[in-house]
Amino acid sequence: MTQATTAGTGPARAGERRDERPGLCRLARDSLLIAGRYQRVLRGSPGRLIYPLLQPVLILVLFVSVMQNLTSSVAGGSYRQFLIPGIMIQNVVLTAPVTGLAIVRDAGTGLADRFRSLPMPRSAALIGRSVSDTVVFLAQALVMIGVGYLLGFRVHTGLAGAAGIALVAVAFGTALGITCAWLALLIRDVETAERALFFPFIPLAFVSSAYAPAGRLAGWMQPVARVNPVSAAAAVLRALADGGPLAVPVLHLAAWIAVLAVVPGVLAVRRWQAAA
Amino acid sequence: MTNPAIAAAGVVKSFGSVRALRGVDLTVPAGRMAALLGPNGAGKTTLVRILATLLRPDAGTVTVLGRDVTARPYAVRAVIGLTGQYAGLDEALTGTGNLVLIGRLAGLGRREAGRRAAELAERFGLADAAGRKAGTYSGGMRRRLDLAASLMNRPALLILDEPTTGLDPGSRAELWAALRELRDAGTTMLLTTQYLEEADRFADQVHVLDHGEVIAAGTASQLKARTGTQVVDVLLAGPDTAAARASLTSHLGAAHLGAAHLGSAHFDPADLNADEASRRLTILARDGLATLLTVARLLRAGGIEVADIALRQPSLDEAFLALTAGTTMTGAKAR
Repeated sequence: MTQATTAGTGPARAGERRDERPGLCRLARDSLLIAGRYQRVLRGSPGRLIYPLLQPVLILVLFVSVMQNLTSSVAGGSYRQFLIPGIMIQNVVLTAPVTGLAIVRDAGTGLADRFRSLPMPRSAALIGRSVSDTVVFLAQALVMIGVGYLLGFRVHTGLAGAAGIALVAVAFGTALGITCAWLALLIRDVETAERALFFPFIPLAFVSSAYAPAGRLAGWMQPVARVNPVSAAAAVLRALADGGPLAVPVLHLAAWIAVLAVVPGVLAVRRWQAAA
Repeated sequence: MTNPAIAAAGVVKSFGSVRALRGVDLTVPAGRMAALLGPNGAGKTTLVRILATLLRPDAGTVTVLGRDVTARPYAVRAVIGLTGQYAGLDEALTGTGNLVLIGRLAGLGRREAGRRAAELAERFGLADAAGRKAGTYSGGMRRRLDLAASLMNRPALLILDEPTTGLDPGSRAELWAALRELRDAGTTMLLTTQYLEEADRFADQVHVLDHGEVIAAGTASQLKARTGTQVVDVLLAGPDTAAARASLTSHLGAAHLGAAHLGSAHFDPADLNADEASRRLTILARDGLATLLTVARLLRAGGIEVADIALRQPSLDEAFLALTAGTTMTGAKAR
């Protein structure tokens, strides 16, 4: 029993210069372990899923009810068919800050210090949380497709199209979540972050083609709306639902997802380590 | 040749304009229990965080078992266990869940982590509570779970930042029993503490940190001898410690002048410590017997009744006060 505590740390490699950095296998394994931890916490208090799942129902019903009669048709289709993908993306945008807030809340805890002192990859904490949050984005996407159907939204491309819609919601939400993690870690203060993170998302959602085609927005908004990642995501959802051409909107969206995930991701990992 | 468990030289760390560490040297041979002693803000936690690779030093070199903390942080992380000031636990997970998660993140396989978790839970008296969420644990149990978590990967160096702070005496004794057992099994330990009697009783070597510098190092008894300062210990007959303190301090300046011809001793108000509950005054006897005489005279002049008065060897507490008071004064002069 006592010999268990004596140094048993493998061969000493005193002469070795390079650091024993964990590889990609270790990153995948540890990220999944961290994701599993969040999942177990979620299973322990399933109440935490209630609001993320009620939110899209509420937003869809309210927005569609208020806006459905503003115009009858858009771009050759019904306004509902146009509007609902936009609201789906709006919901994703409103959910993404949760990832960032969780990360900044955890960054200052003793548990984060323990993680930092373990030989696990630095990025595993952030990636693990993001992986865990894909479950939330996926559950929301399924709710939105279901509620959207009840409100008259039709996916004309069958199961593959519906799966594509869910995938876009998850990927876009995860990328935005990583950006939020970086912003939250920059802000540092949890309460400030709680308020500040939602701020850029109001214009992000509105100055886009989520609710109206970019050409119908105020003149100054139009160039912004055309490059806005929300517009790109909404365009992909519409193309997926209606069977329209996918290549251009998908490329546009993929570029945005890469930009939102990679650079802020690297910066967030650095901030996470520095928050010690 | 064997590397020392910790070798730190000239470690400097600043936070903005605050210089937390101003050139710290520290060597801990393998197998020792070293205590880092110092008041709040002395830089203990900063040093611990540098050793645990959570912070990078601005200057100086730090190696843990021959591995440089800046150049090879992952190699260092592989051989240390950290029990920080705040429990590194997930309250929503069970005791076993915490141990297994941390063990696996430290690199253990699933089966090995499970086995080790059961073994450590048993050893720290947590076997019955292992299936409960850590959030339901008492403070003492939480500390033991935290310590067990730090031991999952069998660290060669265990770093503990104020492990007993906030524990009741019973839990503190239990934790110390566990730490002593680890030491006897050969684990090197560095711990910070404000409880001097703990360092006195358990540590092989004590490093006194003050204002970001190691101002003294050695065994507890060496430190006590080194200050060379005895203590005047006064037990008051009455409860009025304030009056006794006043009669000593109000005369400080005057005693210096007026009583000089009587062979009066000098003492600083910082050298005086009064404990109301035990009716006890302790004064660092920087001038030995002369301090005792001065104290006796001043008390008598103030009409204070004394039940007992004695000159004795200092506790580590008092040695520590003497040491830190010294640097504060030289520090002031340097500025």
